[in-house]
Amino acid sequence: MGYIQRRNRRIFLIFLFPVIVALFATTIYPMLYAGWLSFRNYDLAKPFIPRVFVGWANYAEVLSSGPFLHALITTFKLMAITLSVQLVLGVGIALLVTQKLRGMGLVRTLLLIPMMISPVIVGLVWLFLYFPELGYLNYFLSLIGLGPVSWITSTDWALLAIAIADIWQWTPFVMMGTAAALQSLSPEPYEAARIDGNSRWDVFSRVTLPQLKPVLVSLMFLRAIDAFKIYDIIFVLTKGGPADSTEVISLYIYRQSFTFWRMGVGAAASFVSLIIISVLITLFFKSLQRGQASKG
Amino acid sequence: MSAITLRNVVKRYGAVQVVHGVDLTIDEGEFVVLLGPSGCGKTTTLRMVAGLEDVSEGELSIGGRVVNNLAPKDRGVAMVFQNYALYPHMTVRQNMEFALRPMKLEKSVVDKRIADTAEILGLSPLMERRPAQLSGGQRQRVAMGRAMVRTPKVFLFDEPLSNLDAKLRTQVRWEIGKLHQRLGTTVLYVTHDQVEAMTLADKIVIMRDGYVEQVGTPEEVFAHPKTTFVATFIGSPAMNMIDGRIESGRMVAEGISFAIPARYHVSEGQAVTLGIRPSEIKIAASDDAGALDARVEVTEYLGNEALLDLRIGRHEMVAEVPAADRVEPGRTIRVRFNEAALHLFDAQTGKTLAL
Amino acid sequence: MSFMRTVALTAALAAGAAGAANAEKQFEGVELKMLGIGDTSVTRLAPIVGEFEELTGAKVQIDMFPYPGLIDKIIIEASSDKPSYQLLWVDSPWVGMLGEAGALEDLTDLAKRDAEEIGLKDIVPIQLQENTWQGRLLAFPASGMIWSTNYRKDLYENADEMANFKAKYGYDLAAPSTWAQYRDQAEFFTRKAGDTLAGETLEKDFYGNAQAFSRVAGAITHDYFPIMRAFGGDYWDPGTGLCAMTGEAHVKAAEFMKSLVPSNPPDYLGLMWDLRTGYMERGETALSSYWSVRTVRLTNPAEAMVAEKGLVVGYAPSPTADGAPQPTYTGALSFGINSKASDKEKEAAWAFIKWGTSEAMMRRFAEEGSGVSQFRKSILSDPDLQAKYPYYGVLLSAQENAKRRIFHPFYQDVEENFGIELNKYMAGETETALEALTTACNAVNSRLKIFPEEMRLRWIDDVPADVLKD
Repeated sequence: MGYIQRRNRRIFLIFLFPVIVALFATTIYPMLYAGWLSFRNYDLAKPFIPRVFVGWANYAEVLSSGPFLHALITTFKLMAITLSVQLVLGVGIALLVTQKLRGMGLVRTLLLIPMMISPVIVGLVWLFLYFPELGYLNYFLSLIGLGPVSWITSTDWALLAIAIADIWQWTPFVMMGTAAALQSLSPEPYEAARIDGNSRWDVFSRVTLPQLKPVLVSLMFLRAIDAFKIYDIIFVLTKGGPADSTEVISLYIYRQSFTFWRMGVGAAASFVSLIIISVLITLFFKSLQRGQASKG
Repeated sequence: MSAITLRNVVKRYGAVQVVHGVDLTIDEGEFVVLLGPSGCGKTTTLRMVAGLEDVSEGELSIGGRVVNNLAPKDRGVAMVFQNYALYPHMTVRQNMEFALRPMKLEKSVVDKRIADTAEILGLSPLMERRPAQLSGGQRQRVAMGRAMVRTPKVFLFDEPLSNLDAKLRTQVRWEIGKLHQRLGTTVLYVTHDQVEAMTLADKIVIMRDGYVEQVGTPEEVFAHPKTTFVATFIGSPAMNMIDGRIESGRMVAEGISFAIPARYHVSEGQAVTLGIRPSEIKIAASDDAGALDARVEVTEYLGNEALLDLRIGRHEMVAEVPAADRVEPGRTIRVRFNEAALHLFDAQTGKTLAL
Repeated sequence: MSFMRTVALTAALAAGAAGAANAEKQFEGVELKMLGIGDTSVTRLAPIVGEFEELTGAKVQIDMFPYPGLIDKIIIEASSDKPSYQLLWVDSPWVGMLGEAGALEDLTDLAKRDAEEIGLKDIVPIQLQENTWQGRLLAFPASGMIWSTNYRKDLYENADEMANFKAKYGYDLAAPSTWAQYRDQAEFFTRKAGDTLAGETLEKDFYGNAQAFSRVAGAITHDYFPIMRAFGGDYWDPGTGLCAMTGEAHVKAAEFMKSLVPSNPPDYLGLMWDLRTGYMERGETALSSYWSVRTVRLTNPAEAMVAEKGLVVGYAPSPTADGAPQPTYTGALSFGINSKASDKEKEAAWAFIKWGTSEAMMRRFAEEGSGVSQFRKSILSDPDLQAKYPYYGVLLSAQENAKRRIFHPFYQDVEENFGIELNKYMAGETETALEALTTACNAVNSRLKIFPEEMRLRWIDDVPADVLKD
C-alpha cells in the first residue's frame, strides 16, 4: 500500500463524495424518513393529533384494508392489459419499421413522440379525446355510426381508457427497444431459413422471437415497474373514478397522504406495495428466465 | 443434363451493373468454384443461383427448369454461409430439425437423417450444444450438416472457410472435398482463395469486375491462362510479367529478347506482355551465353524452395529455385528463362496470343 | 337611492385615496400573496388589486387554482413555518380543519373594532356564522354560497309543455317545491334527439336534469349533502359526535339522487360542478340545483350562453321532502389570514379583506354586471339590483331560515369517503344506498372513535359567533 495508492484512494473519495451526498439526499434520506413515518401516527393537517410511534399499526391497517386490496388488484389488472398490448403492438410495429423501406426512419422518429411527452400532457391530450359529448373520439365514432362511449365516466370503460392512453404513450418504448434488438440480429440465419423454405410464422416464432426474448423480458420488466407507479395519466383523466374503477395503488397512497393527511399510513402503504411489487415482479421474471433456460 | 445453367445472367442494382452476362454450365455432380477477388461478382452470382437475389437479365436454370422467378425454397438448393448462419438459440440438433421442418417429414425420417449426417460429419457428440459452445470448425460442420440433411440437388457454399484459421481451413477443405466425393452432389462454391479453388474444383470460374475471365479445370487455368489477370491471379508466387514489343519476330523488352514460340500468333511491332512463372526462371552457369544477368535483391527461404527477388535490367522478377541453390542478396547471377513455358499476351487487351 | 349611496361611497373612497397619497402610504413595501380559487369569489377582484396598491402601497398577488387540490395546497401552506401566502381563500367547510389546526388568524376583534367600517350588521348573519370555529371568526365572507334551484323558465312557461305536463302528472308545471316534483320534471323534460321541445325539434339529446355525480374532490357530496339536509337529515349524532348519515333521510336522499340518473347526461358519473353547471349555462338541461357561486354566472353572457341565447332562467329555493320549509343550506366563500404571517402583513391583509369585501366593492361588481353571490342585505334587497339579478331575492330569502354547512375538522375524510361511496352507489357498484352510506360512515368513525367524546362533541358544536353578539 504505497503513497501513490493511498493518495489515489483519497482523490477517488473526494470525487465520489458529491455523488454520495446527492444519493443520500435524494434517495436514502427520503426512504429512511418514509420508513420512520410509516411507524408513526402523523397527520399533516391536524397538528393536535399526537405524532406518536404506533408500531406496526399502519401496516396492519393497510394490509387489512379493502380499498388497498382493491387498488392492488386494479393496478395488476391495468398492468396486465397495458403490458400485453404494448408487447404485441410494440413487437408488431418494430417488425414493420425495421423493414428496409423508404421513409421508415422518419416514421420511427414520429412514433417515438408519445414517449417524449410528459404523462400529464398525455393525460390532457386524451382528456380532449375522451371528453364526454365534446370529445373527438366520440365524434369520430359518431361518423361511423357508433357510440357515444362514456370513456372516462363509465365503470365499464374507464380502466380501458386509461390503458389505451398508457399504451399510446409507452408502446413506442417497447417498439424502440425491440427494433434495436431486431436490427442487431444477424441477417444470415434469415437467408438460411429462406433457402430452407421455413414459413414466415415459423421464422418469427422460432427464430426471431426466441432471440428477442431477453430484450423483451427486460423491456417488460421496466414497463411493469412503471405501470405499478402509474399516476399522472389517471390523475388527469379520472382521479381514480368513476366509482373506484381506476383507483390504483399510487392513488390510494396519494389519498391517504394528501387527502386524509395520514402520512404514516401513506408511507406504510408505499412500503407494502414496494415489497409486493418487488417480490411479484422478481418471481414472475425469474420464472420467465427459468422457462427460457430449461428450453435450452 | 446439366445441373445449373446460367445464360447471359446480369445483375443490376439501379444503374450499377455488377454482373455482366455470365454464361456457365455446371454438370451433374460437378464441383465448380467461383474464384476472384472481392467485388468481382462471384458472391452475387451465387446468391442469384440461391434465389437470394433477383436475376436482372438472362436465364438461370437448375435441373433443367428455369428458376428466375422461383422462390429459394423451390430451387432444391442448400446453402452454407460464410458466417455459418446458425440459429444461435438452437442446439445443433434443433438447427438441423428446423431446416427440415418445411419438408414435413415423419419424425423417424427426420431423426434418421440427422443421425446419419451427424455421423458423417462427426457431430454426434455435439448434438445438444448450441453454436456458442462450438469451435469455428465445428460450427462450419454444423452448417454443412444443416445443408446436407435436406439432401439437396445442389450445394451452394459462400466462402465457407474464410472465418477459420489457416490450419483448420486446410482440414475443413479436405473434409469438404471428401464429402463431395462421397455424396456426389453438384457444388457451386465461392472463394477468393486460389488454393481452395485448385484443390477442390472440377472446374474453376475466374471472375473479375462482374465478367467471367476464364472457365476451366485447375490444370487448364494454371497452364493456359487466357488473360493476364488469370495468369497473375492463379499460381503463387504470381507470374512475372514484362512489357515488350515484337521486333523482327522476337519479343524485345529493354535488354531482354526472346524468340517467339510457335504456338503464339504475333505481328511485327505489336505491344505484348510476357509472362513467366517464377519456377520457370532457372539459375544458369556463369558462362551461359544465352543467360541474363540478374542481381539478387532479397532471398526468401521457404524450406524446399527459396524465392529470389531479382533485378534483371530494369525489370523486377521473382524466381523460385531449389533451396540448396539459393544465393546471398547483393550478388549478381546468371539466369535463364524456360522458353517453352513463356506466356504471351496482347498488351492492349490482356488476352493470350496463343493460337 | 342606491345610486346616491354608491356615489357617496365612491367619493369617500376617492377622498381617502387622495389623502393617503399625500402622506406616506400605510403599507408601502408590504407584499401580500393570496392562495385562491379561480372562481367568481376571486376572479372579480383579482384584476383590480392594483387599485389596492394605489391606496395603501401594499402589493397583492392572487394565485388562482382549481377547487380540487386547493385545500391540499392550503394545508401544506398552513403546516409550513415560513408561509409564502398571507391570505388564504377559505371554503366554509374547511373552517373546522383550519381552525383546529390553528392555521387562521382570529378576526373577531378586528371585525368588532371595524364593525362600522365593514358594515358588520349589513352582512347576512349566517354568512358570518359560516366562518366561525368555536364561536370565533376565522375568515371573512367574500361571496355567499347558497344552494338553490335553477330552471329553464322559458320551457316551464311554454303552453304546450305546461299542458302536456299537467296531462301526464296531474298538477301544474312550476318550479318544484318537493323532491318528487323535481324528479317528475326532470323525467318530463328528458328528450331524445328528434323529439320536440317547446315546439322545436331537438338536434341532440336534452336532459331534464344535471347534478354533480363525480367523485373527484368529493363533488357528489356537494350536491348530496344539501339534498340530504333538505330531506331533513343531519351529519352527526348529537349524543356521540359520530357520523350519523345512515338514517332514513340519508338513504332517501341518496335514492332520490340515483332516481335522477336517467334524466342526467350519460356521463353523469363524471359530472363535476363546472360540467354540471355547464349544461344549465348552455341551456341544455331543464333543471339543475347548485351553488350560488355559479348561479351568478347565468346572468353574464360572457360566462353563460343562456344569457346570450336569450333563454330565460328561473330561480327558486331548494325543494324539500314534503314541501314544508326546511332550513336552507348555506355556505360562504371567504378570505382568511395565515396565522403565521407577520403582524405587519396581517394588518395589511385585514385592510385588503376589508377593501375587497366592502359594500362599495360589492356594489361596484353588481353594477358592472359581473355576478357575485352577494352576502349583504342592503345589496340583495336593492330593488334595482333585484330586477337586474333575479336570483337576489331567492338568495336573500333563502338565508332567513338557514343552517350552516358541515364544518368538522375531519371534513376531508367525510367529503372523500362519501364522495367515493356515493359515486360507487350511483355507478351501481354498491347495491344499496344504506350499504354505501354505512361504509362511508364507518370509515369516518374509525378515525373519530379514537378521540374522547367531549372532543368530538366540541367539534360538532356550532357556537354562536362572538361577532354577532352585542
